[in-house]
Amino acid sequence: MSSYFSVFRMRWKMELQYRGAVIGGVICQIFFGLILICLYRALYAGKPQTMPLDSVVTYVWLQQAFFRMLLSSDSELTDKIRTGAIAYDLCRPLHLYGYYYARIMAQKLLGSLLRAAPMLVFACLLPRGYGISAPVSVPAFLCAVLSLMSGLLCVCALENLTMGFTMRTLDARGMQALMNLLMMTLSGNVLPLTLFPDSWQRVITLLPYAQLLDSPIRLYTGRYAWTQASQIIFLQAVWLVILIALGLLLWRANQKRLVVQGG
Amino acid sequence: MAYIEANGLTKIFTVRKKREKGHLMREKQQITALDNVSFRVEEGELVGYIGPNGAGKSTTVKLLSGILTPSAGTACVNGLVPWENRKQHVRDIGVVFGQRSQLWWDVPIADSFALLRDIYRIPLSSYTRRLEELTDALQLESLLRTPLRQLSLGQRMRAELCGSLLHNPKLLFLDEPTIGLDAVSKLALRDFLRHENKENGTTILLTTHDMEDIAALCSRVMVLGHGKKLFDGALNDLLARYDTSRIVFVRYDGIVTLPSLPEQCTLEQDGDGYRIVYEPAQVPTSVLLSSLQAAGPIRELTAQAQSIDHLIAKMYREMDL
Repeated sequence: MSSYFSVFRMRWKMELQYRGAVIGGVICQIFFGLILICLYRALYAGKPQTMPLDSVVTYVWLQQAFFRMLLSSDSELTDKIRTGAIAYDLCRPLHLYGYYYARIMAQKLLGSLLRAAPMLVFACLLPRGYGISAPVSVPAFLCAVLSLMSGLLCVCALENLTMGFTMRTLDARGMQALMNLLMMTLSGNVLPLTLFPDSWQRVITLLPYAQLLDSPIRLYTGRYAWTQASQIIFLQAVWLVILIALGLLLWRANQKRLVVQGG
Repeated sequence: MAYIEANGLTKIFTVRKKREKGHLMREKQQITALDNVSFRVEEGELVGYIGPNGAGKSTTVKLLSGILTPSAGTACVNGLVPWENRKQHVRDIGVVFGQRSQLWWDVPIADSFALLRDIYRIPLSSYTRRLEELTDALQLESLLRTPLRQLSLGQRMRAELCGSLLHNPKLLFLDEPTIGLDAVSKLALRDFLRHENKENGTTILLTTHDMEDIAALCSRVMVLGHGKKLFDGALNDLLARYDTSRIVFVRYDGIVTLPSLPEQCTLEQDGDGYRIVYEPAQVPTSVLLSSLQAAGPIRELTAQAQSIDHLIAKMYREMDL
């Protein structure tokens, strides 16, 4: 386990090297957040929805703050596969799936925490109706954090699945574009899932994408009662097991038919 | 039992090719990268592995390091089948792929080394000792805190080598480790490898196109061509087979008429002198010398053996590679 933790720590260190990217990301995400909020305010001014505006605004801020968690972006890993540098990773006494999982997790966790902290501070300072609201209760907040963490585990498994496909197609772009599209839409980043028609929501909230950010945010805003948290985390755990199992199967199959690119 | 035993190793790749006409269809083609190759390497040997581009050298290294699975044949390294017991097998091997990097691009190389320490679970005390030994030999102390991206090619190569040896591997695969190194670094690297081999008993399989590396380091060479093993034995035996001609360079005082030479010699003008290539077995050197002297007063005469690169090129030509 300690080796995987070292990989995690190393990727974490590397992420700290890109401070400029963090500043850029924060500015970009704040901009997006403000635009979306103005949009929803305009929508609500015309036709109020069942969900209170405050909750939608909170939803938008949390989505923007943890945006980095959703976006698949470790281009170094996909480059390794494309150029064949993966050969080195294959001669380490580690399970390759775990090795990449740890790397992806470090990048997503630190990448989003570095961006989320200043953004959430900013969102707290905004006036009511524009800024983020406090969580409904302390237990709700704790449950939200817990489910955010298990959501993170799911999203890493999902991205590792993309890596597995990249080993077959060699080019990650198609798979990543598809994954990002599904992710952004079905995780509530484009439009809060709470604003989808109820009949749609019943299906969408069961999909793995909704486990990443939508469930934790609903716990935070009180849309799900915190007493329901165990059910939510159970659903996340089921998806986690399914995604990791699929990933491991795919990776094992890959290892048998592996060809190292570039001589 | 030998340290490495390979029996009938075969690797077939399927390559997809675009047809010249018709852009939609692709043709599949089977390429045999390695064709029924067998060999044994004893513990502590330093073996050179040579062959023209695309001969299957790297494929062999990848099979023996457990990265690829062969299409047919078996191999056993220290009692383990590399591709079946990959995790256990790789603990004891080190690999350097000359054209790839194992160190992290944006972080200081010392951090990459520390990660390798954790991955191989090297105890801290032996790690510190080993790192000191390696940084000394490879002159890396001053570079340890520099991110990899700021190192020159040669510095990077030395760092890569250090990374591959931290865990004290019993077997070292070097796939073109001297690519892009300057003369000083090359010599230092050779000394270092010789030392590793002698002092630590590390078995080394060295793949390279630099024949000087082979001549300086390896007593035994294996030649691979078109995926087949063509030669396995002492370098001197290999060279003796092809090292049949000699070169003489001669310069005369003043202008002379072209020396008339026995017809088995080839003569060409080189600057203000002549270069003669001949085979002592056909034309005795004394005969050549007297006919050279007959042409006029000789100011300067140098004799040289064919360069090792020429010999290898000749060998590849004769083996039809």
